[in-house]
Amino acid sequence: MTYVIAGDCCSDASCVAVCPMNSIHPSPGEAGFGTTDGLFIDPRTCIDCGACADICPVGAAKPADQATPVEVELNRSHFATQPALNALDLDTWDAPSFAPWTDGPRRVAVVGAGPAGIYAARELLLRSTAEVTVYDRLPVAGGLARFGVAPDHPLTKQIVTTFERVLAHPRVHWRPGTEAVTAELETRYDAVVHAVGSFQSRRLGIPGEDAARSCSAAEVVAWYNGHPGARLPVELVGPRAVIVGSGNVALDLARLLVSTPDRLATLDLPAAVRTTLASSNITEVVLVARRGPEAAAYSASALRDLQSLDGVDILFDTEGSELSSPPLPGRRIVFRFGTTPEAWDPAAGFVTDAGMVSAGNLFTAIGFAGRPIDGLPFDEQRGIVPNDRGAVLNRPGHFVAGWIKRGAQGGIGANRACAEETVRTLLATASSGALSAAPM
Amino acid sequence: MPGTDETAQRLLDSSARLSRDPETEIDWDAPLGDGYGLSPEWSTLYGTSYWEELTEVQRRELTRHEAASVASTGIWFELILQQLILRDVYALNPAGADFKWSLTEIADECRHSIMFARLTGKLVDVEYRPRPIARELGRLFKTVATGESAYAAILVAEEVLDVMQRDWMRDRRVEPLIRTVNHIHVVEESRHMVFAREETRQRLIGAGRARRWTSGLLIAVVADVIMSSMVTRAVYANAGLDADRAVREARRNEHHRALLRSSCANLMDFLGEVGLLTPAATRVYRRTGLR
Repeated sequence: MTYVIAGDCCSDASCVAVCPMNSIHPSPGEAGFGTTDGLFIDPRTCIDCGACADICPVGAAKPADQATPVEVELNRSHFATQPALNALDLDTWDAPSFAPWTDGPRRVAVVGAGPAGIYAARELLLRSTAEVTVYDRLPVAGGLARFGVAPDHPLTKQIVTTFERVLAHPRVHWRPGTEAVTAELETRYDAVVHAVGSFQSRRLGIPGEDAARSCSAAEVVAWYNGHPGARLPVELVGPRAVIVGSGNVALDLARLLVSTPDRLATLDLPAAVRTTLASSNITEVVLVARRGPEAAAYSASALRDLQSLDGVDILFDTEGSELSSPPLPGRRIVFRFGTTPEAWDPAAGFVTDAGMVSAGNLFTAIGFAGRPIDGLPFDEQRGIVPNDRGAVLNRPGHFVAGWIKRGAQGGIGANRACAEETVRTLLATASSGALSAAPM
Repeated sequence: MPGTDETAQRLLDSSARLSRDPETEIDWDAPLGDGYGLSPEWSTLYGTSYWEELTEVQRRELTRHEAASVASTGIWFELILQQLILRDVYALNPAGADFKWSLTEIADECRHSIMFARLTGKLVDVEYRPRPIARELGRLFKTVATGESAYAAILVAEEVLDVMQRDWMRDRRVEPLIRTVNHIHVVEESRHMVFAREETRQRLIGAGRARRWTSGLLIAVVADVIMSSMVTRAVYANAGLDADRAVREARRNEHHRALLRSSCANLMDFLGEVGLLTPAATRVYRRTGLR
């Protein structure tokens, strides 16, 4: 029967480490890790012990009889072109790697209690005896795992409880609702890990972008996730909305916008959000992407989520069909590829090189950029703090992890390997004496 | 949350898919090579100044004695947990999956103990045993422990051993026989750990604060006893080292503590999840170096 990993996979690879048969791939370090849509279990070698399901922080690993046929098939087909690994031949396993102990720092500050910050804190606790102080601007931990994951993915949000347990560690000092000031941190800590993410939405740069009923998708996502202080900046006006972008944020928003009141009732939403979404008369969402379907940024599992919506048609419109008149009855999501945005006119609609799209709202979901951190260098082009394996260039004692380190890409679990690399760099620097020798 | 019977049935099916018989799978008559007993980085002295002074031959010999000591501690604990499970089995319906799985687990442990015993005999010609106080505590524990204390203690012992063995079985520097033995153990223990977690969760349903406090503390003490029994003092003397100095340096070995801490991260997370990581328990784990 075997186990399978479903689309909710966070790729933090906890399962890879507990599988006794080396059945879960791609593992960290293997080709495809971080780029495939989650991890997969080879049914030819899985012995059905359930260790992966026991450890999975998001409940994505499960017995095949509790998964959908599509999920079972995806796990099988991932290995279709490869021979089965014989776990009994122990040389087919990766050799273990060991990081020798270093007399690390005594006090470390981690700024940001999102996935990258928490994974960094966890690694510091395991690999050193440092006291770790975790700061976050918000009163609660979780970052994008709490406020960026769509409410119809409750299993993924479950990882927040794992994060909270890290913060309960006796060597962690948790400072929620605290704005960390770089200059102050320098005087009080041996090292600082900045894991602040990149929460600035990229802009289209077209006329009318700041006009009425236009905003970034991120603002709506923060609002429907109950982010402290987030408000819905626009009035939702149906029956058609345009989302520019083809990433998972765009798809999350589209799914929520076309959800029926019945479906909304099943989701964990703030009451006001539920009412507002249910009373909006948006029935059609058009996703506009500049490039073709081959360049679409969404993951396969996000697309499957859309396709499994009851009563919602998913259309791939590559022909440039007529969208200037009001939509037909019924709920649908239309992908329109190869279309360049030109202007937003709240009175008329969305102007593109392929014609006018009549719409009541415009949301942009074309990615995120980091914001400069006070006192640290910044790469405007890439929107990151320039770094070498996590060490901020020319600023000894300062490190980065997560999106501010590598750019706004990769899901929750990708931050684990990223944070581990940063902590390795930090501890190696500490052991070489560079932390204490250099004035921060 | 599935019931323990459903979990037991899945584990029985898994066991039918792959169970291993060390008697037939391993050529016990083959001569031993000159590999390490365990990954050198897992030696209790790795990273200390004493380790730096040892020759390659001495290091190899030390790791072989350490491996034998760990295997002997494994046998000791497997005996305890066979008794713990057996006491539980009396109350079960013989037709249930739970019953069949429990006996399967006992059979696995029984085979493992024989396997570890044979391995130890091949590795070194001395015998290792936990120190008397630990043995007496074990004797008491296997008689009185019940419910989540019994199952979480089983989990602690298995999980600690499991993570080490995962490293050793993949390490090409380690003697092939030891790698195979470790893999056999890892495969079967992964099922045992799934069951121990499930039993622990089930038995904690409705448990109040006082009970969690007591169980949490008891489990932490068990963990402390197990950890301190892994490599006994006799190991250093038998490997030809200065036992006083070795014990002193091993005790202060932060590298080893960090390795153990990393190995036990999943275990600690589980104990936290089920509410057994109480402040009192946490203090014990901090002292042991697991937290």
